[in-house]
Amino acid sequence: MPTKPSKSILHYIFVAFCWLYAAFSLYPLIWMLFYSFKNNQEIFVTNPFGFPWPLHYENYITAWTKYDVPLYFLNSLIVSIGTVVITIFCALLFSYATSRMIWKGRHFTRLFLGLGMFIPVQAIMIPVVKVVQGFHLTGTRWSLIFPYVAINLAFACMVYYGFFRGIPRELEEAACMDGATIYQTFFQIIEPLVRPATVTLVIYIFLNAWNEFILANVLVGSIPTLKTLPLGVLFFQGEFTTDWGGMGATMVIASFPAILVYSFFSEQVENAMTIGGAVKG
Amino acid sequence: MKKYMGNKLAIFLFILPALAIFLIFDFIPILQVFAYSFTQWNGLTTPTFTGLENYFRLFQDRVFVTSNKNQLIFAILITVYQMLFATIFAITISDAKMKGRKFLRVAYFIPVILSVTVVCQLWSAILSGQGLLNKLFEAFGSDYTQNWLGDRYKAIYVIAFVNAWQWMGYQFALIVAGIKSISTDYYEAARIDGCTNAGAHRHITIPLLAETYKFCLVISLTGGIKAFTEMNILTGGGPNKSTYTLTYMMYNAAFKKSEYGYGLAAATVMVLECMIVMLVINFIFRDKDQRKEEERSRRKRHAD
Repeated sequence: MPTKPSKSILHYIFVAFCWLYAAFSLYPLIWMLFYSFKNNQEIFVTNPFGFPWPLHYENYITAWTKYDVPLYFLNSLIVSIGTVVITIFCALLFSYATSRMIWKGRHFTRLFLGLGMFIPVQAIMIPVVKVVQGFHLTGTRWSLIFPYVAINLAFACMVYYGFFRGIPRELEEAACMDGATIYQTFFQIIEPLVRPATVTLVIYIFLNAWNEFILANVLVGSIPTLKTLPLGVLFFQGEFTTDWGGMGATMVIASFPAILVYSFFSEQVENAMTIGGAVKG
Repeated sequence: MKKYMGNKLAIFLFILPALAIFLIFDFIPILQVFAYSFTQWNGLTTPTFTGLENYFRLFQDRVFVTSNKNQLIFAILITVYQMLFATIFAITISDAKMKGRKFLRVAYFIPVILSVTVVCQLWSAILSGQGLLNKLFEAFGSDYTQNWLGDRYKAIYVIAFVNAWQWMGYQFALIVAGIKSISTDYYEAARIDGCTNAGAHRHITIPLLAETYKFCLVISLTGGIKAFTEMNILTGGGPNKSTYTLTYMMYNAAFKKSEYGYGLAAATVMVLECMIVMLVINFIFRDKDQRKEEERSRRKRHAD
């Protein structure tokens, strides 16, 4: 990067602006964290902006016991993990077959699945609801998992394809000589080689599924026992809410796993989220 | 070996799960969107074919015009906001000597990993009549307080801002990754030639980020066309249908009025708009590459 001994005034203006915007980006979230520890009186009258004192941690107990938050949390967790596992499994197998195995139509099949990148989720919500009803999946968590897998597959296959292409042919030849079946070769030799891609994809797909709203809204929005956290948060919709502290606590709980993942794997998360830049354009 | 890697049964078993799920839950649905947009369908009985009737009705609908206008405002606002700020921050932070770079990156990126419903709920709390923003104005003794989402002329801008605020960090991360991939040799050469910092960024960084910008443009412009969630949560399309988009029209027609065919016609138009935008962006950027290529070959000929 270019560095000169004397920095212009413009540079300092930009740096100051960077910090100002960081505050603008973070303060709403900190405010949310603060008001999750306040009661209504403090939020609206005595202390709308600052640090909460005394801490009304009972908001979290209320959220956890009164508002079905554990149920939403469990639903989100099951759906997200299910989506991750099935997507990774399907994408691994599919990309292996289309990138390294030899058969007619492999390029066409791969490109066909790649079309999934250009299908907007917003457009397909009506038919997906009908398909889910047609398979009698309504009322189960599968009604969310299968559509989530479908919308994540194209991207996962694209990423795996790039990784599989970089593996030397000799590995499979050697395995073949040694008498391993194609299944053994794949699961014991090839799959471990693409673990870095798997890690990236696990994070990416997990966050996608954890935060998904559009399909969840139409698929399980009216089924209280199956709601995921993004839907649970909307329970407090509008200005008719009376318990703001409880709402703040629910939102903090809903965001916590994503922030936890991000704080442990910040580099991988940023890579995972922006890896699309290389493929999607 | 060829037989080993061409094991028909294995290939079939390997591609089957992915292909089946993709076909059933993604590909056939999008075909159904197109097909049923030519029918009248209440979602329960068999659809009846009505030709282009839904489309004629759609193009005469006043909400259709509002929706397209809103999508355009949304798309332009988030594109300008995100690309402008993301570029400024990414370039400023690319200076390795700057303090607190890591912290700034996290600060910009955190909204991206939050659920869109949390972000919308949070901003609806900030923007409501009793909310944080009005409190802030009160604290400074200003009487500029208002219900920010209740004004039919302003609501769409406020909604677009919420989206831009959440996703700025995404484009920021993309541009940071783009800058990282530029060789430092270029800047070295520029410095030797006596180029200023600003000049180096103007003539090296930004032109070399063309591919990144192309992607940023695609996601924010199509993001504007597809806008739905923010409207759904923050205003419910209101006040007085002033924040509708095509997706919201579809949602409303299908799930509130059971006019599935009509809703799917709106969805089809939305998908077509996305495709046109992508084609146009690809055309503009390819055009530049081609022009450079042509320029180069012309110069070569002159040199000969």
